[in-house]
Amino acid sequence: MMSIGLTEYLVVAAVLFGAGIFTMITKRNAIGILIGVELVLNSANVNLVAFDRYLERCRIDGQILALVVIVLAAAEAAIAVGICINLYKNLATVDVDTAAKLRG
Amino acid sequence: MTSHTYEILLALGVLSPFVSFWILVFFGPRLGKPTAGWVGVALGMGVPLVLATVVLIGWRGEVASGNAAELTANAFRYEWAMLGTVPATVGVKLDSLTVGMFFMVTFIAFWIFVFSVGYMAGHSDEVGGKSKYHRFFAYLSLFGFSMLGLVVSSSLLFLFIFWELVGLCSYLLIGFYFDKGFASAAAIKAFITNRVGDFGFLIGLMLVYFQLGTLDLDVAAQRFAEQYAAGTGIFASHFTLFGWSLATIMGIGLFCGAMGKSAQFPLHVWLPDAMAGPTPVSALIHAATMVAAGVYLVARVFRLMTPEALMFIALIGCLTLTLMALIAIVQVDIKKCLAYSTLSQLGYMIFGMGCGAWIAALFHLITHAFFKAMLFLGSGQVIEGCHHEQDMRKMGGLRKKMPYTCWTFFIGVLAIAGTGIPAIGIGLGGYFSKDEILAVAYTRSYEWGKDDFHKHVPGEGGGHGAVEPADGGQAMLASYQDHGQAHGDDHAPAGGAQGIFENTPALPKWMFWLAIITAYVTPFYMMRCWWMTFMGKPRDKHVYEHAHESRLMFIPLVVLAVGTFVSSYFLFRPLFADAAPAATDAAMVMAIDGTADTEAVHHAHSFLIGGVGFAFAVGFAIAFLIYRNGLDLAERIRRVLAPLHTLLVHKYYFDEVYDLVWVKGCILVAKIARLIDTYVVDFLFDLAAFVTERLAAFSGLILDNQGVDGMVNGVAKTTMDVSDVARSGQTGRIRNYVLFSTAMATVVMLVLFWWAMQAGNFMTATSAPPVG
Repeated sequence: MMSIGLTEYLVVAAVLFGAGIFTMITKRNAIGILIGVELVLNSANVNLVAFDRYLERCRIDGQILALVVIVLAAAEAAIAVGICINLYKNLATVDVDTAAKLRG
Repeated sequence: MTSHTYEILLALGVLSPFVSFWILVFFGPRLGKPTAGWVGVALGMGVPLVLATVVLIGWRGEVASGNAAELTANAFRYEWAMLGTVPATVGVKLDSLTVGMFFMVTFIAFWIFVFSVGYMAGHSDEVGGKSKYHRFFAYLSLFGFSMLGLVVSSSLLFLFIFWELVGLCSYLLIGFYFDKGFASAAAIKAFITNRVGDFGFLIGLMLVYFQLGTLDLDVAAQRFAEQYAAGTGIFASHFTLFGWSLATIMGIGLFCGAMGKSAQFPLHVWLPDAMAGPTPVSALIHAATMVAAGVYLVARVFRLMTPEALMFIALIGCLTLTLMALIAIVQVDIKKCLAYSTLSQLGYMIFGMGCGAWIAALFHLITHAFFKAMLFLGSGQVIEGCHHEQDMRKMGGLRKKMPYTCWTFFIGVLAIAGTGIPAIGIGLGGYFSKDEILAVAYTRSYEWGKDDFHKHVPGEGGGHGAVEPADGGQAMLASYQDHGQAHGDDHAPAGGAQGIFENTPALPKWMFWLAIITAYVTPFYMMRCWWMTFMGKPRDKHVYEHAHESRLMFIPLVVLAVGTFVSSYFLFRPLFADAAPAATDAAMVMAIDGTADTEAVHHAHSFLIGGVGFAFAVGFAIAFLIYRNGLDLAERIRRVLAPLHTLLVHKYYFDEVYDLVWVKGCILVAKIARLIDTYVVDFLFDLAAFVTERLAAFSGLILDNQGVDGMVNGVAKTTMDVSDVARSGQTGRIRNYVLFSTAMATVVMLVLFWWAMQAGNFMTATSAPPVG
């Protein structure tokens, strides 16, 4: 049986990352983009934990960093949702393409 | 009294009218019409008159006791400023001349001030609709200050300053009614004509300053004599102009000032026009005092004169006295007639100065001041009484309406005509003063240069019965050779008695004869003037009925008439005889005394008794015969002598010639200057402007717009272009940003990966997780 190694974890993380990026690129809904961001962050978490587990040099650092990222994602989600609410208040929609006032 | 006492009294006398001037300037309008006038009378001239009287009485005592010279020498000089290395000193020139002049000026001015109060009461004092009453008396006070300052100045610089001040006052007073065109024109004419003379004065002053290195009268005279004796300084110069040496030019320059002020021949034109001023002004300034300042100046700078300069002075005086007397004959305006007679008499004084009749000229100045002031006041009374009528042809018969004026005027006529009884030596002022001038002229013309002339000169003193001061006799006929011994004291010039006058030429005889002939003309025109005004039948009913006398105005007339009587031989002549040695170290001073018995004097006397002793009677008689029955005979004579009459009425066309030469000349020069201005100066300016404009266009349009602005704009444009490229990435769409950043991250990763592969140390992961 093929043992589950670092490579497999990395593949999962890469798929997650690609899905997240794809979501961010394709979605026009702000919440959808937010979900994409969460996917990217979590793919990073997977990577961190995987490297922490498989690389001897990295003992506990990766897990701590993953916890930091989770907290960061929570804070980011709070702010991002606030932004989305304000976006909706001002434009009566959460379509990010309409919020293009800063376009050069 | 010490000399300081005299100096302080005189200085106070000078300053009092100055105080009066400021009071009237600041508080005049508040003082009101009569009060301001009386303030002017009291403070402006009353105080100086009292002081002058005190000084005069004291000084006569000093002269009698022989202290005068010492007092003069002790006079105080305050160093006012340093002009380079030359100190400008202030002080009172304390001598008999100053004292006599000071008293004369204050005495006459006081009574004219009083007269002015009465005159202004009857005259409009409004100029341009506003009352200028106080201003009139302020000007008079300022004149008093200037004139007295002029008299006491010890320094030529201050003499010049006061000289200009009296000129200013004259200008202000002639143009008192400045809203009348002729008055302001006359004022300007007087002022400008005087400037011409003052220019010469200034040249003389500068020569004194540079060549003699001082401005003090006494020091200058001393240095002049020293330089002559040593042949240095001004006498070492080889500069000549019209054949005159530098020293002569200095003397003539100083005399030019006198020519302007005393209205001598080429510059006489302003004085008749100056009669446009109020009559008291004519009396005070343009007859008695200011115009005499020129004679006074010549007397003061007599010691700086060379024989050539004196000859020039005599020539000018001679021309003036003759030409002006002839004009006076045809004048019909009473004031103009008196003005020309003033000119003629001033000519006599200047002529006397030029002849060396120093004492006689000053004596004549004093006597003339008295009777001419009185004559002018009389004319003012007549004009005032006759409803501002000045034409004598419309007068006549006024003796009944204004008896005081008539008879005081007559006294003046007698005095100016030189009336006297030759045999016993009694007469009015003019009899002595004018005849003495003529006697000196006779001596200069006929006795001068004769071999035996100097032998008959009295050495020490001489018989001098009538004149009481001891010094008086010295000046009897002090020729240059005996001058030093005659005075025998410290008055002798520093260079010794053999002065600059050693080779003085004799006076040309025609000059003397012109003066003699004019002595016959003077009584004629004066009698004509008096007769036409007061005698005969009234010719204009309106004028006659209006005629009246004013009390305030005839009191000064009477006082001055009395003054004319007593100012004759005994009061003033001894004073000037004393002043002669002190004020003029010059050996040129000559005097003919009535009691002298030398041969030369005797000649002069016997000639003059026959020659002009009865001139007054002849002149009077001719005038009486012509004007006895009205103007008809005079009219017939006028027709016979029509060309001559026209010439005289037009005053030898002096005004016309001056107008043509100077006024039109000035305008011509101005026009030429304007042409030069338009076509040369303006062209240069336009050229400069054109060049500037072109340069500015080049620098502005080419350099600035294209160079400097081009750089700035280029920077801006580049920035803009770069920005345009840069902003194309800023779409505002999140997906673009994400895609872009992902792509970049991928690229970076691939590069790193590739780099690591190249280095061969690619991180290898352990295939199995460590346990634990």
